Amino acid sequence: MKITKAVITAAGRNQRGLPLQTLIDRDGAQKSALQIIVEEVLTAGINDICVVVQPGDERAYAAASGEHARRLSFVEQREPRGYGDAILCAREFIAGQPFLHLVGDHLHLSDDGDGSTCAQQVVRIAEAHECSVSAVQPTRESLLPNYGAVGGKRLPNQERLYLVDHVLEKPTPTEAEQTLIVPGLRAGYYLCFFGIHALTPTVMDLLADLAASDERSAFTLSDALAALLHRERYLAYEVLGRRYDIGVRYGLLNAQLALALGGRDRSEVLAQLVELLATRS
Amino acid sequence: MSTLIEIITATDPALRDRSLDAFAEAAGLSELLAECAALDAFRRRSDNLYERVRALFFLYAIHRFHLPAKPGMPARGLIPFAGYEHLLSRRFEEAIATFRRAWDEQGPNQALSSALAEAYHRLAFQTLADQVRRSVRTVRGNQWMFRIGHPADHPLRIRGELLVPGATILRERTPVRMDLSHSAWSDIFFLGMDFPEGARVLNVSIDLAVRGRDAAPRPPVEAYLRVIDEPVLRLTSVDLGATADLTHLRDVFDFARDYLGLLKAAVIASGIVPPGMEGAGQPLSELLARLVGPGKGLELVSSVNDIPKGSRLAVSTSLLACLIACCMRATGQAKSLTGPLAENERRLVAARAILGEWLAGSGGGWQDSGGVWPGMKLIYGVLAEEGDPEYGVSRGRLLPNHKILDRDDASDAVRQALQDSLVLVHGGMAQNVGPILEMVTEKYLLRSEAEWAGRRDAMRVLDDILVALRGADPRKAVQDIGRLTTHNFFGPLQTIIPWASNLYTETLIARARQAFGSDFWGFWMLGGMSGGGMGFIIAPESAERAKGALYDIMLTTKRELQHALPFAMDPVVYDFAINPTGTQADLLCEADALMPTGYYALHAPRLVKLDQRALTPMRRADLDRFANATRTRREFSGMTKALFDRLLPRLAGDDAGPGGASQLEELLEAFGFDRAQHEHIRADLKSGRIGLAQNRLPANVHVEDVSAGDPDSDPGRDVLVNATDRRRLADFERIGREAMRDGQVAVMTLAAGAGSRWTQGAGVVKALHPFAKLDGKHRTFIEVHLAKSRRVCRLYDAPVPHIITTSYLTHGPIAAYIARRPSSDDVPVFLSEGRSVGLRMIPMVRDLRFQWEEMPQQILDEQAQKVRESLHAALIAWAQHAGEGSDYTDNVPMQCLHPVGHWFEVPNLLRNGTLRALLDDYPNLRYLMLHNIDTLGADADPAMLGLHIARGACLTFEVITRRVEDRGGGLARVDGQVRLVEGLAMPREEAEFALSYYNSATCWIDVHQLLAVFGLTVADLGDAPRVNAAIRAVGARMPTYITLKDVKKRWGHGQEDIFPVTQWEKLWGDMTALSGMKSAFVVVPRLRGQQLKDQAQLDGWLRDGSAAHVESLCDWA
Repeated sequence: MKITKAVITAAGRNQRGLPLQTLIDRDGAQKSALQIIVEEVLTAGINDICVVVQPGDERAYAAASGEHARRLSFVEQREPRGYGDAILCAREFIAGQPFLHLVGDHLHLSDDGDGSTCAQQVVRIAEAHECSVSAVQPTRESLLPNYGAVGGKRLPNQERLYLVDHVLEKPTPTEAEQTLIVPGLRAGYYLCFFGIHALTPTVMDLLADLAASDERSAFTLSDALAALLHRERYLAYEVLGRRYDIGVRYGLLNAQLALALGGRDRSEVLAQLVELLATRS
Repeated sequence: MSTLIEIITATDPALRDRSLDAFAEAAGLSELLAECAALDAFRRRSDNLYERVRALFFLYAIHRFHLPAKPGMPARGLIPFAGYEHLLSRRFEEAIATFRRAWDEQGPNQALSSALAEAYHRLAFQTLADQVRRSVRTVRGNQWMFRIGHPADHPLRIRGELLVPGATILRERTPVRMDLSHSAWSDIFFLGMDFPEGARVLNVSIDLAVRGRDAAPRPPVEAYLRVIDEPVLRLTSVDLGATADLTHLRDVFDFARDYLGLLKAAVIASGIVPPGMEGAGQPLSELLARLVGPGKGLELVSSVNDIPKGSRLAVSTSLLACLIACCMRATGQAKSLTGPLAENERRLVAARAILGEWLAGSGGGWQDSGGVWPGMKLIYGVLAEEGDPEYGVSRGRLLPNHKILDRDDASDAVRQALQDSLVLVHGGMAQNVGPILEMVTEKYLLRSEAEWAGRRDAMRVLDDILVALRGADPRKAVQDIGRLTTHNFFGPLQTIIPWASNLYTETLIARARQAFGSDFWGFWMLGGMSGGGMGFIIAPESAERAKGALYDIMLTTKRELQHALPFAMDPVVYDFAINPTGTQADLLCEADALMPTGYYALHAPRLVKLDQRALTPMRRADLDRFANATRTRREFSGMTKALFDRLLPRLAGDDAGPGGASQLEELLEAFGFDRAQHEHIRADLKSGRIGLAQNRLPANVHVEDVSAGDPDSDPGRDVLVNATDRRRLADFERIGREAMRDGQVAVMTLAAGAGSRWTQGAGVVKALHPFAKLDGKHRTFIEVHLAKSRRVCRLYDAPVPHIITTSYLTHGPIAAYIARRPSSDDVPVFLSEGRSVGLRMIPMVRDLRFQWEEMPQQILDEQAQKVRESLHAALIAWAQHAGEGSDYTDNVPMQCLHPVGHWFEVPNLLRNGTLRALLDDYPNLRYLMLHNIDTLGADADPAMLGLHIARGACLTFEVITRRVEDRGGGLARVDGQVRLVEGLAMPREEAEFALSYYNSATCWIDVHQLLAVFGLTVADLGDAPRVNAAIRAVGARMPTYITLKDVKKRWGHGQEDIFPVTQWEKLWGDMTALSGMKSAFVVVPRLRGQQLKDQAQLDGWLRDGSAAHVESLCDWA
């Protein structure tokens, strides 16, 4: 399995402006969030990228992607039918191929010692195991209302790799505790989605089934993944890295600090922070 | 290896189910002592819950029942106070260690055995309760709630459907559960966790209507939830008329502050305010902002449609489950917001209901949330498997499985036939079933032969009922069920727990049988004990008629027995229907978004009184909807009157009639209330001259133990005579017989008291309580005492008149009871009517604090203790608000009065002419045997009489060797004088534990000497002023004790509140402290001297041979 395409979703009602936000990347350059996400995709060797946007947003996004604009295709999600439907909008673009999917409101920073980005790690695992792989991160139960989460068993002789047996979207801790059991994980922690998935084309079929089953209701990617594990082998990979949700309160600030402290300007930013702290106290 | 350890560890059921009794009865004293040592070591080293607990119960039973009965086991010993303090503080292991050290020092004795029995018994239950708690906490889906400690971490969010603008209410409606077979209380957690094979219940979800009040059966339990535009948690219990806006996390955990404890438990157990947040200091608004949204709050309302308490249909657990289900749906913890629940969700609701019950300090069985499931189901225990939290700890899982019966298991026709034939009633009695559930657990673990056979019989009954339900002929099926449930009630259930039945229930059954003849198909007991919720199975063609007739039978029988048994309300007949869906929820939107009518009766008057501008938009809209509903909806049509009744409460004077203040005044007048004395006592109380602390003797008084004379000394000379060895009493017996034949003795039974402990302040006549079956019939205390006098009369061919002293509370019912005696009865009875009454007072906060904070108190289980502390705070606030030391008048008049202590009962004989009448009829009368109503083993024993005569004392008191349960003073040498000291007067709590002998309250009186103490002669008895002056003079020398007594206030539909009230008393035992009084003291066997103070003692009394002893003293003819 070779992944050559990627889908970035940015059509959410409350997140349409997020990828357009400007940050200073680790290399000290000023970039939009979209540019940073696109560059994450590029590191995985994927050059064919589709961005799902709300109607009328294409121009702004194209502008925000700077030099990468030529690599991007844009698809509009005409009705707000949810996250699952947004991915389904890219079905034609995918054309029956496996694809990498990133959400447009998260930035990812790798902690991998060998320098692999998060997207690289996920693609490598998916290609090696020839199946869908979702990047996950152990997350405290108090954050469950924000994420999809999986339960499963560790694959023998594999580090940080799980065979998924349950998927739930934003579960309550009650459901999570009963269903999302992962041996070896600390109590009160669950494997929540990281915002990066490497998916087989079956996921598109499942999304299409969901779209067809009920015209009115919104559906999520988790609904399709919950069905996927009954059809195909589906793995979760505990990625070496961190995700930053720029859609939450102080999310953008947090992401900016993480980028700055993980990059070229670390000393400068640290010095400013110390000065700030000293002044405020 | 020890035989008993072999029994406990055996895997072969034949050995494992052997009874302790069979072994212990055959074993000798030394063998039993060796077994005790082995068992104690074994239970310490075993990791297995079942083994530990069974060993503890074995140890308890050996110390409680078997060791005291072994020849050579000394009776006398001293229980170390330190061990007792450990017991009170629930440090059971430390208590056991202390008692065992004393055992090594003193040698084995019955006093220490009693203390060890108590400690082992309570440690066993503590171990079991801890395990249940651990299991509930470790149920998957519950664990997270104990980890969340800060509102910012709250992981739940209210569902979007409840946040949409406009009015939306989520309503949950839940049936209650009915136990179709009564499977011998096999749903008790402890039983299910050890013997899952035997834990089976046939449980039916039912809708209810109170006949004559409600139109048709409906799910009786309802919960309503909505989002509100104020950052508070608003809780309302429609039935209890209580509402509160909670603004702080600590308010949610304050269970006993108001009547909203159950709603608070549901809020916690559902995870809305997770139990892990107890003690967190944040305002509730912070949590609500995260859960619902900034500035928003939640409102939760409960309603049980006025189903009376004590229905034995698990109404409160069903309500708890209903509230939890509603809260779980609202927070997305159940998949569906409306409709029924999925199986895994029902199981979680059941687990959380158990958690909620524990939080609120109550508890039932695991079938009690059965109403959450639909229709008829078999609930059965399950063996614990790998992955279960119980695996390796207990044989069974905490939570059972539910198999819903399908049409093959019970056809529609059979279900309908059952509905058509079963008349479901509430008999009106409301009793605490807690002790019964403990007895069931204990008897199961001891495997006593009869009870174990009973349990297996009850299991067969369940199997047979399942077979009957599958029958093709519905009529026959129901007849079979009736036969089986009747057999169950009279057979296995009463074999296991004799106290499940009572005279009321058996009278009802007999009368129903008589009234309906062959149409009476059976009786069906529900719940922990009978007298409340019950079922009668009647041929369907007569069932409708039977509903009316049964109501009349119940009402008539209740009126006959209302002075003898604790009734909470008049009987009720229900209409019911099997509920096929289980718990269900729906969304009430826009104009339909209405709370139950009772909610508006409670809230609308308050809102109307507020400034319009103070109402939030939501409250205004709610009032609008309500106003509209009163015009358009039938169920709201009567609300205008209800609102006016609330807005303008009727004046207190309007209630003058039964229960009014004027009636209280009349009663006080009629009973000879001494207002001047009352005011004097009140002044002393308020000024602090008298009170609980002032009851005590000065701290510098020297209190010592008294020893009985050694066996060779002359019993005629010792200050304390040991009369436990009958062989040494032959001479006295001869003297006594002669006096008896000469007509010199009468028996005097004290029956003026209200028996506060016996029925927790229910105000019934203890003397008339048909407390146990003796010789095949329920017998009252008076019946037993008269039967003993009858035997003595016949045995010694002597006239032994029997005096029964009464009071304002007991005179009428006892006089009526005596009047109903057959005229052939040969025991002459004299009633001595009490002429003293007190008026209860609101307690002083000082005394409440002394009682709760300075006196040693039994610490309760962790959660129950929290609830109790919260209740104490509420009661202190009540006393302050109501006015310390003021008259207690906020109850029915009879509950505001109190008897003033048994000291007055002897002088009353002089005052009311009874003694004179007796002396007229029995001129030789010289001696009285005075005894308490609950000293069942005391009879006019000629040996005791002879001893009294030989000693020449004015008063001879009978004492017994003390056991751990004998609290309340004892025989002591006080500054050199041998006398009885009341527990209230003990200068220090621990002083009592240095005393070996306890007052049995049986006293032989030399009438002439006593008259002399009062400065009177027989000739003076007709001179009322002189007698009164003499009594007043002696009375003034008697100490006045202030006591706190619990009094029940009944209200609503079978609801009861218990208040501590102040009363005063003078006690007969203090006569021994009078200077110049010639008193003697005799140690008698325990069987003769022990008293029955608490109904929880009855089972032990029956099992340890006491009941058989009493029967041997009686002549029932």
